[in-house]
Amino acid sequence: MRRGYWIAGILALLFVGLGITSFQKTLTPYVSFEEARSARGVVQVMGSLDKTSDKYDVGTQELSFDLVDDRGGRIPVAYRGTRPANFKDAISIVAIGRYREGRVDAERLLVKCPSKYQGAEVKTYDAPPPAGARS
Amino acid sequence: MYFWPGVAALWGALLAGLASAITYARADRGRPDLLPLARSLYAGYATCIVAASAVLMTLLLQHRFDVSYVNAYSSLDLPLHFLISTFWGGQEGSFLLWLFFGALIGLLVWRSAKEQEAPVMVVYLATFLGIVAILCKQSPFKMLPPPAPADGVGLNPLLQDPWMVIHPPVMFIGFASLSVPFAFAIAALWKKRWDGWVTRALPWALLTFVTLGTAILMGGYWAYKTLGWGGYWGWDPVENTSLVPWIFTAALVHGMFLQRTRKRHRRVNLILACVAFVTILYGTFLTRSGILADFSVHSFVDLGITGWLVAILLGFVGLSAAAILWRWRSIPVAAEEEPPLLSRSVLFILGIAVFCALAFVILLGTSAPLLTRLSDNPSQVQISFYAKTATPGAILLLGLTALVPFVSWKGERARDLGRSAVRSLLVAGGVTALALLLGARGALPLLLIALAAFAADMNLRAVVRKARSGKLGGAGGYLAHVGVGIMLAGIVVSGVYAQTRRVALPIDRPTRLGDTTLTFLRVVPGSPTRKQAMEIKVESPGRAPYFAYPKMYTNTRTNQLMVNPAIRKTVVRDFYIAPQEYDPGQPERRGRDVRLVKGTTQNVEGVGLTFRDFNADRAAMLRGEQTILILTDVTVTPPDGSTHDTTLRYVFHMDGREADAGEAAIPGVPGATMRVLGVSPNDGAVALRLRGVSKNPADEYQAATVETLSVEVTRKPLISLVWGGFYVMMAGAGLALVKRTREARRAVLAPGPEPSREPSEPRAAPGAPLTVHTRS
Repeated sequence: MRRGYWIAGILALLFVGLGITSFQKTLTPYVSFEEARSARGVVQVMGSLDKTSDKYDVGTQELSFDLVDDRGGRIPVAYRGTRPANFKDAISIVAIGRYREGRVDAERLLVKCPSKYQGAEVKTYDAPPPAGARS
Repeated sequence: MYFWPGVAALWGALLAGLASAITYARADRGRPDLLPLARSLYAGYATCIVAASAVLMTLLLQHRFDVSYVNAYSSLDLPLHFLISTFWGGQEGSFLLWLFFGALIGLLVWRSAKEQEAPVMVVYLATFLGIVAILCKQSPFKMLPPPAPADGVGLNPLLQDPWMVIHPPVMFIGFASLSVPFAFAIAALWKKRWDGWVTRALPWALLTFVTLGTAILMGGYWAYKTLGWGGYWGWDPVENTSLVPWIFTAALVHGMFLQRTRKRHRRVNLILACVAFVTILYGTFLTRSGILADFSVHSFVDLGITGWLVAILLGFVGLSAAAILWRWRSIPVAAEEEPPLLSRSVLFILGIAVFCALAFVILLGTSAPLLTRLSDNPSQVQISFYAKTATPGAILLLGLTALVPFVSWKGERARDLGRSAVRSLLVAGGVTALALLLGARGALPLLLIALAAFAADMNLRAVVRKARSGKLGGAGGYLAHVGVGIMLAGIVVSGVYAQTRRVALPIDRPTRLGDTTLTFLRVVPGSPTRKQAMEIKVESPGRAPYFAYPKMYTNTRTNQLMVNPAIRKTVVRDFYIAPQEYDPGQPERRGRDVRLVKGTTQNVEGVGLTFRDFNADRAAMLRGEQTILILTDVTVTPPDGSTHDTTLRYVFHMDGREADAGEAAIPGVPGATMRVLGVSPNDGAVALRLRGVSKNPADEYQAATVETLSVEVTRKPLISLVWGGFYVMMAGAGLALVKRTREARRAVLAPGPEPSREPSEPRAAPGAPLTVHTRS
């Protein structure tokens, strides 16, 4: 049985090693707007929506808006996909994505809406995979 | 202020539970005459918990909105089944539901534990008393100060779904039944009953596997058919924290089976039983402490019980670790000679290792916000993390599952195994070729499909073999593995080869999408019993056209836009239509809109416009009248240089009807008119629509927009295999549950400890027949 345990142990270690490396790779930290501008990988920023800034094109499904934080910072966000329901009522929005060409290219949006039920309710919206990613 | 009968029942449960645990402990220490008293006290505890649940349910059914919990989660308009489900709509109620099933299961536990009753019941009760204490502190029976509200806030509209009525109870049966293997394991360490506990606890571990698994599937199915994002699994923390204990339970079931048949891996099983239980507590802590509030779709807000949850969690982690370390050297290790590498024992232990590693990695990802909280900015992992790490796990598990039926305990020669696998390899090759033919591409998905088919067929042959020899009852494990193969094939195919398209459907205009034509026909208005839906005609060549009715409505209480997809199910694929956005369209418009701020002048095509002031009927506003007249004073300076003061009438209706605005001529410009479009007193601004001022009439024309529905259409091939494979897996687990329950009922085990490793143990008589198993 010793051999069995050894193989099992090595297998489990390899697996956990893979887990830890991809953990570090896919970790997306919450960062401030300034940090997001200099970040290389995927980050998430949280702020409130500037309600005069959002634009949505139904045809191409391109959504763009500015997030503002409580220190007066501002960062533009672009998202390709359906505009989240209740987008306009959001108290805060989390955008997860990369900073490119002066704006956050969001892969996901977490929209927090005021809710009578559980204090606040969060909903997730994922951008569709880029065309061609699926056969 | 509390509703006292409920509070009394909870405190009664706490006291009776404590008393029962203490009496059981004394009965174990040489006072067997106290057993009947301990049982009566347990019955008292169970009665109190059932009474507390009955009180809460009665308050909900009677609409007692003066009770805070009833007010927060229910309302008058809910039909009976949703009203019942408000019981577990909030944190306190769902804790109570957990206790409710725990109390009922306990009544079966002390009967099934037999010779191990006293120590098992002590630990079993301990696993619930912490939650009872939480409810004594954070009571669901808190009253609101008078006056009582006339109606409650209502149930979260997303939870108003039949699946959400049954999903939580099944989940909590699973949670509660996981306390049983844990109680047996701790009692085994305490009383040195190294093999006896497995005989009694195996059926309970199987029950946990079936109930937790069913609950997880129900949650996934609900997400698929209600939320409209096209998937059934989102790797959300709440989903993960029920998946991880389930995977550990699967590992435990395999380990216990190994110990039952080979008398091996006693340490592994004791550890697994503890870990599986502790992950339930850890998941409860993660999802209910508010730690994940910024990261999850549905974690609860912090109620101020985080400290309690941490204390309970650390208490049980400490207890498990201490008990295992204390007895580590006493736990007997199998003396049997080492089995060859290609034997069932080794395959099992490899499988258990993969289960554990997989569960650990998922737990790691879920804990990211907690782990990174220690550094400066809390983070979470991307969803891709889970897919990346789960794929090698699935490949390994499928490989092991495939080999199991034709590898014996004693070991197998590779050549013999190869010979018995030929038929299944051919089947796997055929399935893969078929998949290629149907357009499946990509090495990794094809490898997974081939392995899944191989595993399913190998196990199917084992089931047939068992059935032929009249022992279908013993084929539960193989049957479950057939289900695993089918389900994983379904997950891969429906996930990788799904085709999603987003299209805008103008009303009455057929829109082609591949070989399917979609036509948005109308909005079907809602009624009290039916939600507002969109009618879409779906036509494909060779099939009868049909009408799809995805729902899209605004929840009147929360003003949330709710969307439910329409799913057309066939065996081969699901056709999934999820509405995204509805544009009611606009008639064509003529005119030019300008926004004027008080005291400033704007020049439109040579005409100067100065907004001087509003003149609202404040007295009428204060009287609360529904109709308010607002007069707007504007100075117009047309190109001819003259100056005209004009007053525009604007009648605003408080009830939401469209305002009446008087059309007035623009002095000095023949044929031109203006009217008020809207006023915004806070900004001191007014919007006007001018007509006929532009030299080019085209500048004033805006074309109509057509009523349009945007939808996301997904073709999900073979998603029926996910559900179908799951049913097969659960049927197999059910067969095993029946067999093991029978076996446990018939087993007669001697009281007292079993021989340990140290020869110095006083009562360890080597060779003595301490356990007698009767086999069916």
